[in-house]
Amino acid sequence: MKTNFKKKNERNNKIASMIISVGGYGVILSIAGIFLFLLYETLPLFSGASLDKVLSYNVSKKKKVVLAGVDQYKELSFLISNNGEIDYFNFKSKEIEKRDTVTLENGEIITSAVRVADGDISLGTNKGRILFLNLNLKPVFTGSIRKIVPCLTQKNIIKYSGENDANNNSVRLLAFSENEEGILYWAWTNGENRLILKIYDPDEDEFYEHNLSEENEDIKVTAITINPDQETLIAGDNKGELFMFDLSDYSEPELIDNWKAVKSKITSLTFLIGNNSLVVGDEAGEVKVWFETRKEGSDELKYREIHTFAKHKFAIQSIIASPRNRLFLSIDVKGGIHLNYSTTDNTQVEFSDGNTSVLAGCFTPKSDGIFLVNNDNEVSLFNLDDSHPDVTLTTLFGKVWYEGYGKPEFVWQSTGGTDSFESKFSLIPLIFGTLKGTFYAMIFAIPIALLGAVYVSQFAPKNFAAIVKPTVEIMAALPSVVIGFLAGLYFAPLFDHHLMFIFLLFVFAPLAFLVFISFWGLIPERKRRTFPPYAELGFVLLGLVVIYYISSFIAAPLEDIFFNGNMKQWLYSSLNITYDQRNSIVVGFALGFAVIPIIFTISEDALSNVPPSLSSAALALGASKWQTVKRVVLPAAAGGIFAGVMLGLGRAIGETMIVLMATGNTPIMDWGPFDGFRAMSANIAVEIPEAPVGGSLFRVLFLTALILLIFTFIINSFATYIGDKLRKKYARY
Amino acid sequence: MKRVFTFWKKGDSFILMTAGGLLFSIAMVLLMVGIILIKGLGFFWPANITEFRMQSGEKYLGQIWEKEEAHLTDKSGKTKIVAQTNIKIGNRDIYGHDFIWINNNNIVGKSEPANAVEFERWEYGNLYGFIESFTPITPGVKITDSNFFEEADKSLQKALANKKLIERKQSVLNKLITPLSNIQTEISLDEINKTKSSAELGKLRAKEKTIRLNIAPKLKNLQSELLKLKEKNLAITVTIRTADGIKRTFPFAKIIRFFRPNNMSFFAKAGFYVTKVWEFLSENPRESNTEGGVFPAIFGTIMMVILMSIAVVPFGVLAALYLNEYAKQGPVIRLIRLAIANLAGVPSIVFGIFGLGFFVYILGSSIDQLFFSSSLPEPTFGTGGILWASLTLALLTLPVVVIATEEGILSVPKANKEGALALGATKWQMIRKIVLPNAMPGILTGVILAISRGAGEVAPLMITGVVKLAPSLPIDASFPFLHLERKFMHLGFHIYDVGFQSPNVEAALPMVYTTALLLIVIVVALNLLAIYLRNNLKKKYKTSTF
Repeated sequence: MKTNFKKKNERNNKIASMIISVGGYGVILSIAGIFLFLLYETLPLFSGASLDKVLSYNVSKKKKVVLAGVDQYKELSFLISNNGEIDYFNFKSKEIEKRDTVTLENGEIITSAVRVADGDISLGTNKGRILFLNLNLKPVFTGSIRKIVPCLTQKNIIKYSGENDANNNSVRLLAFSENEEGILYWAWTNGENRLILKIYDPDEDEFYEHNLSEENEDIKVTAITINPDQETLIAGDNKGELFMFDLSDYSEPELIDNWKAVKSKITSLTFLIGNNSLVVGDEAGEVKVWFETRKEGSDELKYREIHTFAKHKFAIQSIIASPRNRLFLSIDVKGGIHLNYSTTDNTQVEFSDGNTSVLAGCFTPKSDGIFLVNNDNEVSLFNLDDSHPDVTLTTLFGKVWYEGYGKPEFVWQSTGGTDSFESKFSLIPLIFGTLKGTFYAMIFAIPIALLGAVYVSQFAPKNFAAIVKPTVEIMAALPSVVIGFLAGLYFAPLFDHHLMFIFLLFVFAPLAFLVFISFWGLIPERKRRTFPPYAELGFVLLGLVVIYYISSFIAAPLEDIFFNGNMKQWLYSSLNITYDQRNSIVVGFALGFAVIPIIFTISEDALSNVPPSLSSAALALGASKWQTVKRVVLPAAAGGIFAGVMLGLGRAIGETMIVLMATGNTPIMDWGPFDGFRAMSANIAVEIPEAPVGGSLFRVLFLTALILLIFTFIINSFATYIGDKLRKKYARY
Repeated sequence: MKRVFTFWKKGDSFILMTAGGLLFSIAMVLLMVGIILIKGLGFFWPANITEFRMQSGEKYLGQIWEKEEAHLTDKSGKTKIVAQTNIKIGNRDIYGHDFIWINNNNIVGKSEPANAVEFERWEYGNLYGFIESFTPITPGVKITDSNFFEEADKSLQKALANKKLIERKQSVLNKLITPLSNIQTEISLDEINKTKSSAELGKLRAKEKTIRLNIAPKLKNLQSELLKLKEKNLAITVTIRTADGIKRTFPFAKIIRFFRPNNMSFFAKAGFYVTKVWEFLSENPRESNTEGGVFPAIFGTIMMVILMSIAVVPFGVLAALYLNEYAKQGPVIRLIRLAIANLAGVPSIVFGIFGLGFFVYILGSSIDQLFFSSSLPEPTFGTGGILWASLTLALLTLPVVVIATEEGILSVPKANKEGALALGATKWQMIRKIVLPNAMPGILTGVILAISRGAGEVAPLMITGVVKLAPSLPIDASFPFLHLERKFMHLGFHIYDVGFQSPNVEAALPMVYTTALLLIVIVVALNLLAIYLRNNLKKKYKTSTF
C-alpha cells in the first residue's frame, strides 16, 4: 500500500512537472512565434525575382517566328511565322495541337507584328498590307477539366491608299493600339522613309489616313509607338530625338513637340501598362523611362526623363511590357535580356536565352512567366517568380517618383480605381503619422502626469492619495474605443465650435494659473502652515474653476477683437491654415488621456519608493519641501520616471482605436496641429481587411506590424532595464 | 510682493502647480465619465415633446436635443452669435431628416401639448404627432372620450399580437419548406457541376417530389392562414397628424409602442425608463444598429471573453508555475520574463494581424481543407470567427495572467513551501496544496484584468471575426449548438461601427453613448473587483510573514 501510494505520488509529480514544463515552454515559444511569423510573412517582400526555364522546344528552321503568345494558365502557346502559319503548341502533351493559316498573297511574307491586350493582332507584310485579326486562347471548362481553345478571327485588311513606293512597300516598323472607345490606331513606316498613320473610328465607321512624313521629311524614323489614351504618336529618330504627334483630331494630326531623349539612335519605344510611362531603348544600350509631369509652378505637362536602368552592352532590339504591372523586358541585339521594374529603377534579373538574339517574346497574361523565341528557333518558357517588384527598401523608406507626380515623394496609396493603378507603399507618411500623434500626446500627457505623480507621492494628504490612485487606475482601464469615440464624436466637434476657448485653455490658462497661485504666496508662510492639509488643494481647485470661467467669458469678445469673430476663418484667410475637425490637437488630447495613467502610476511608484531617509535628511538640513523634492527625490526617482514615460510612449505608438477614430486617417506629412494624419496602427486596421492574402499590400502591412513590434519591444525593454537598475541602486537604503 | 517672490523662490508655488496637474487629470476623468453618464443615462428618459411656433408660421413638434451658440455670417460678412436649438422632429419618412436647427430668435411660442404622442416604430425611427383616429376594438370611440388612448393602446396590442402570430406562422412555414428547398438547391447545383450519376439524380428528384406532395396540403393551409392574418393586420390602422397638419394612415403594427410623455407622471416615466433599459439589454438591434437593443453584442462579448479565458488561464498559470517553481533561475529566465513583460506593451493591432495571418489564414484554411472541403471555396474556419478572435485575445492577455499569477505565487511565503517539502510532500503536492490556494487571489486578479482588457479591446477583433451585424448567435439550437466558426458582435466594435460607419450618425449617437456606458460599467466593475482582490492578496502576504 505504502509503496503504491508513494509510486502514485511520484507519478503524479512527474506528470505535473512534465505538463507544466511543456506549458511553460509552449508559452515562451508562442511569444517567439509571433515575431517569427511576422518575419515569415514579411520576408518574401525582399526575396527578389527568380526565373526558371521550365520548358523548351525547337520549331522548324524553315520559318521565322514573328509573334508569340501564351494563355493565362501557361498550357497553350501560339507562334505566328512569317509565312502566315499559326502553330498552337500544347505544353502538356508537348506537341503541336493545331495549325491555322492566315491567307497571304503570293510571295507575301509577314515583316512585323503587334498584339495588344484583348488579343487584337496586326501583321504587317512586305506588300504593304496589314492583316488585322483577333486571336485569343480561351479556357473552356467541361466539368472541372479545363481545355484551352484558340479562337481566331480575321477582321480586316488595312492598306495605305495614297501614293505607294512600288519598289519598297514593306511594312517595317509597325505600331498598333486601341483604346476603351474602340478607336484603332496603326502607324508604320515603309518606303524610303515614310511614316503612315491610319485611324479607325467605329462610331462613324470611318478610316482616316495620313502620311506624316510629308510635312516632316527630315525625320528619319527608327521607332514608333502609340498612346491610345492620350491619343498621341511618338516616334524616335536616328539622332536620339523623340517626336510627339497629337492624333486627337483624326483628320489633322500634328507634330506638337520634339525633344532630345538620348544620344544615339532610338531603337525601341513602348508604353507600359496605364499608357503613362514611355520606355526608350537606344543603339548604345541605354534604357530609360520617360513620362509626362508638371514642373513645379507650371501647368504644362511635359515628358521628362524619370528612370534609368542598367545599361546593355549592345544596342536595344526590343522592349516588351508586362500586361499586369510595370515590369518590362529590354532585349539587346545579342540576346542579352534585362527584366526591369520601372518605378524602382531596378533591374530584377539579367539573363539570356541561348547565345543568340531574340525573335519574339511576351509575358504570360498573369505576368508569372516569360515566353521567348530565339534566333535558333528555340522556344522557351520561363516561370517568373517576382510577386513584389513594387516593394523595395527605396519604395518603403525613400522618395519615389511615381507617374503623375511632379517630383519624387513619400506616398502611401494602396488602392486605386483602375487596373493599371500602381500601389504606393511609402511607410514614411505612416511612421510620420505615428510619431506626430505620439508627439502631441506626449507633450500633453507628460507634464500633467508628472505633476500629478509628484503631488500624490510627496505633498498630498494621505487619505486623498488613497482615493486618487484607484481613480487613475480606472482611467487606465477605460477602453480605448470609448476614448476614441468621445474624441471623434464629442470633442472634435466641440473643439471645432469653441476653437477660441480651447486656444485660450492651452495658452492663456496655464499662465493665468501661475498668476493665480502666486496669490497664495501673499499669505504669510507662518499662517499657511497652520492651514488644514486640504486648504492648498481647495485653493487650486478654486483657481482652476475661476480660470475656466474667465476663459469661457473672454473667448467670444477676444475672438471678435483679434480674429474678426471667427478664428477658423481667420486661420484660413490670414495664415492659409485649413482646420480639419479631426486634427492632431484632438488626438493629442485623447491619446494623452490614455497615456497619462501609465506615466502617472509608474512615476508615482518610483517617487514613493525613494527611501524616506533621503528626503528626511534633506529636510533636516533645512531644505524646503520643494527643494527636497527637486534636489533629492526627483533625481533619485529619475530612472523610474523615465521608465514610465517610455512605457507611455510605447502605448501611444501602438494605440489603434483612438487614432483611427479621432483623426481623418489621411496619410499626409505636415506637423501642423490642425491637420490629421494616418498612423501605422490605424493603417493596419483600415487596410488589412481589404488586402489580398499574400499580395504586396498584405505583406507590407505585416512589415508595419513588425516595425511596431520592434519599436515597442525596444522601448519597453529599455524602460524595464532602466527601472531595474534604479531598483537595485536604492535597494540598499 | 516680496512675499510672492520668496513664495516662488522657495518653491512652494510648485507644490500648488503639482496639485493643479493632478486636479486637471482628475477633472478629465470626471469629464469623460460624466459625459458618458449624462448622455448614456438620459437617452431612455421620455423627454417632453415641445411644439415650437415660428415667425414664419411653421410649427415643429419634437424633443429638444441640444442648444448652442453658433457663429453665423450674414451677407455683409459680419459674424453674429445666434442661439440655436436642435430639435429631434423625427418623422424621417415624411420630412427626410430627423433633426432640425432653429434660430431661437425666430420662435414665437412654445407649448407642451398634453396629447402629443411619440411613436416608436420598427422602421424610420420615431414619429411625433397626434392621433386623429384608429380602428377601434370597441366601436364608437371618440377623440373626446377619456379612454381614447387606452382604447388606442388596445388596438395596438391587438395588432402586435397579430404580428407575432404572423411571425410564428411564418417560421413554421419556413421550417416546413426547408427540407424541400435544400433538395431543390442540391439538384440545381448539380445541373451546373454535374458530379452526380443519373441514378442518384433520379433518386433525388423522386425524393423531392414526395416531399413536395407531402407538405402541399399543409403548405396551402398555412399560406392562406398567413394571408388572412396579414390582411387582418393591415385593416387595423391608425391615422396621425403631424404638427404642420400632414395626415398619415398606416397599419398599427408598424408601431412598437406609443406614449404621451407630456402626460406622464414622474413614476410613469421611471417605469417606462426601466422598460427601455431592459429592452436595450435584451433585444436585437434594429435600423442598422441605431435602435433597439444590443443583446447580441453583449452575448458575443461574454462568449468571446469566456472562450478567451478557457484558452489563456491554463497556459498563463502553467507558464507562471514553470517560471517560478520549475525553471532554473538565471539569465535566460530573466530574459523570458522581460519578454513576457514586454509582450504586455506590444500594440494590440500587432496581435490582431498575427491572429489574422496565422489563425485565420493558416490554421483556419488547413482545417477547412481537412474537414470542410465540401463547402470550399466558401470558408468555414478560414475566415474570421469567434474562436480565432478569442485565441488572438488569449495571446494578447497572456502576459497579464502570467504576471498577476507570478505575483500571487511570489506572495506565498517560502517557509510554507519549505515546510510542505520537509514533511515529505512531492513538488506537485506542494504546488497543489500550498502554492495554488495561496496564489488564487493573484490568479483571479489576472483573469479579471484579462477579461476587462478583452472586453474593451477592439482593434484586433475587428480583423479577426467581429462584424457589425451577425445573423445568428454563436450558440443556438441547431447542431452542434456551439458554433465556433461564426462571426459575432462585440460591444466595443458596436461603438466604433455605429458611431463611425452608420449613415445617420446624429440619430445613432445616443445608442453609442449608451453602449459606451454599458461597456465602461462592465470594465470598471471588473477592474474594481481586481483591485479589491489584489489588496486582499497584499493583506494575506502581510499576515503570513508572522
